[in-house]
Amino acid sequence: MGISRPSLGLYLTATYPSIRHFIEVLNGVRGLVDFLEIGIPTGNPKYDGPVIRVTHHGAELKGLEAVKVVDDYGRYSRVPVLMGYVADYVDSLNETASVARSVNAVSILFPDLIFDYPELIDRYVEVMVSNGLRPSFFISSKTPYKLVKRLSEYNPLFIYLGLYAATGIKLPIYVEQNVTTIRGIIGDTFLVVGFAVNNPDMVKSLIKAGADGVVVGTAFIQRMSNLESALSLLKWLRGGLP
Amino acid sequence: MTNVPTHWYNIAVDLPKPLPPPMDPYEGESRITLLNRIMPSELLHQEFTALQYVPIPEEVRDIYARLGRPTPLRRARGLERLIGNGVKIYYKFEGALPGGSHKLNTAVPQVYYAFRDGAKEVATETGAGQWGLAVSIAAALIGVKATVFMTKSSFMSKRQRVLFMRTYGATVYPSPSEVTKYGIEALKANPNHPGSLGLAISEAIDYTLQGEGRRYIPGSVLEFVLMHQTVIGQEAIEQIPEEPDLVVGCVGGGSNFAGLTYPFIGAKLRGEGFEGTRFLAVESKAAPKLTQGRYEYDFPDSGGLLPMIRMLTLGHNYVPPPSHAAGLRYHGAAPSLSLLVREGIVEARAYTQEEALEAGVMFARSEGIVPAPESSHAIRAVIDEARRMPKGSVILFNLSGHGLLDPDAYERVS
Repeated sequence: MGISRPSLGLYLTATYPSIRHFIEVLNGVRGLVDFLEIGIPTGNPKYDGPVIRVTHHGAELKGLEAVKVVDDYGRYSRVPVLMGYVADYVDSLNETASVARSVNAVSILFPDLIFDYPELIDRYVEVMVSNGLRPSFFISSKTPYKLVKRLSEYNPLFIYLGLYAATGIKLPIYVEQNVTTIRGIIGDTFLVVGFAVNNPDMVKSLIKAGADGVVVGTAFIQRMSNLESALSLLKWLRGGLP
Repeated sequence: MTNVPTHWYNIAVDLPKPLPPPMDPYEGESRITLLNRIMPSELLHQEFTALQYVPIPEEVRDIYARLGRPTPLRRARGLERLIGNGVKIYYKFEGALPGGSHKLNTAVPQVYYAFRDGAKEVATETGAGQWGLAVSIAAALIGVKATVFMTKSSFMSKRQRVLFMRTYGATVYPSPSEVTKYGIEALKANPNHPGSLGLAISEAIDYTLQGEGRRYIPGSVLEFVLMHQTVIGQEAIEQIPEEPDLVVGCVGGGSNFAGLTYPFIGAKLRGEGFEGTRFLAVESKAAPKLTQGRYEYDFPDSGGLLPMIRMLTLGHNYVPPPSHAAGLRYHGAAPSLSLLVREGIVEARAYTQEEALEAGVMFARSEGIVPAPESSHAIRAVIDEARRMPKGSVILFNLSGHGLLDPDAYERVS
């Protein structure tokens, strides 16, 4: 299972702000996004910005129970991916993968894996593969080249480059330059980029710089209380895809 | 003929493990967002760049050259004779720059980028005063005002450096001061507060936020600061006639150590030379974060205004003993240096100020240069290591500054 190029992805935290609203949103975004990242609510979303942190703390259910409110994420997107902090699952990687499989997710992305648990990378890949899932990796712009190259050699579903220091916080960083640099290291590996993506020009320039997929999270969540407005944002952002 | 380097070197992309990202605490406003309001924009890009080599603007290279880069690499023949076992000792003399220390290497680009953003004034902290002096010089050359918060113990003991800063046009406040809420709070808690670098950082940031057209520029710890300093090591690689067995530098936050060693360490990590070279970071026992600190997320400033970074730290409220006069008072070490120490690529050692200053006196009497008290920590390690190394071994160290403005420190041992 691969992702089409170029793509628009959406990040949502499972059961935020409520189970009912979460499912309503999933139904609404069907056909508007090419892949979905479903956040597993955690008590310690350390690398997230303020808006996504609120979703973790405000989700109706916590942990994998929140993810399980949907039995088949494939109904909403061809490529659903779970996203959680591996710190919560170090001792239960296999069980977590099994849950992902049971809800038809195709991968689990752990943004803290390479920073806080680099020694777990091989085991993570093994668990993903043995559960019929694909590995995927989160990196920052300063991730060592050798490691980036090594991650690309695991045949991941994608490598996700965080454009800024935390989700939803824009800084004066030449993000296109960083995208192009990472693209030069990973060859044909699918490159997803995200953090603070909020307009079609940005989508366009990131794709032009070498990204294959762009994820929106914070900007969507900020509009989620008005679903129509949030869905309009997705349509608007899609306009940035070539 | 060695030229001024054309690029700065970013070691992050060659490290054995990734640098953990900065992190906001769970309470209060986003500190990462705050960076946008206080720091020159180009510096933020450099903090998060994926480039291995970042081009140095021509205007900055030009000022580097005017101020005396490349700095000399010298053989310490007098010290070698004093030790007397045939070990060869080289030093890179950053004290040859007009500020008397390596700090100009990052002061110039930081002030330049602030000016390019339209800033009329830069604010910063300083400990012993080298950084404040460097900022004062850079600000004078580039044409912006400089305001410096200097730890009170140094403000009182290093009057010449205060006067030099003022000569260059800077405003200098003792920290804790009465011009920011952090200073006022600290004075309220302890009217005799000696100051700390962490507190001075908080004061400089608060001051920046109080007025329009101000930018905050930091003297150490952040990765772009270390990156700017890599001109030292790049020059040294070209200048040194033989491969060193040991490279030594002192550590406050890590910038001069990184400046000399990172180009060597980077080559070693990439398998491009220096396979047998050891790297030794020398800190003060008054602030022993490398040898006794915890590796965790902590604030770089005592007010908790900046984002948390993962580093070896003694805690952001750590205040060194007031009797300590020899610099290197900072509570944490830069994230990349912390990681290199944790990975065993860089060794760490701590000395008391007496041990360091004794070595500084030995160096002064054998080489004719009074070293900065901070640099004396590196010299102490060089002497101790040289005594143990076999004949023909080669040591390189960073003489990060001269001590002509630090007679108060040497008064204790001479």
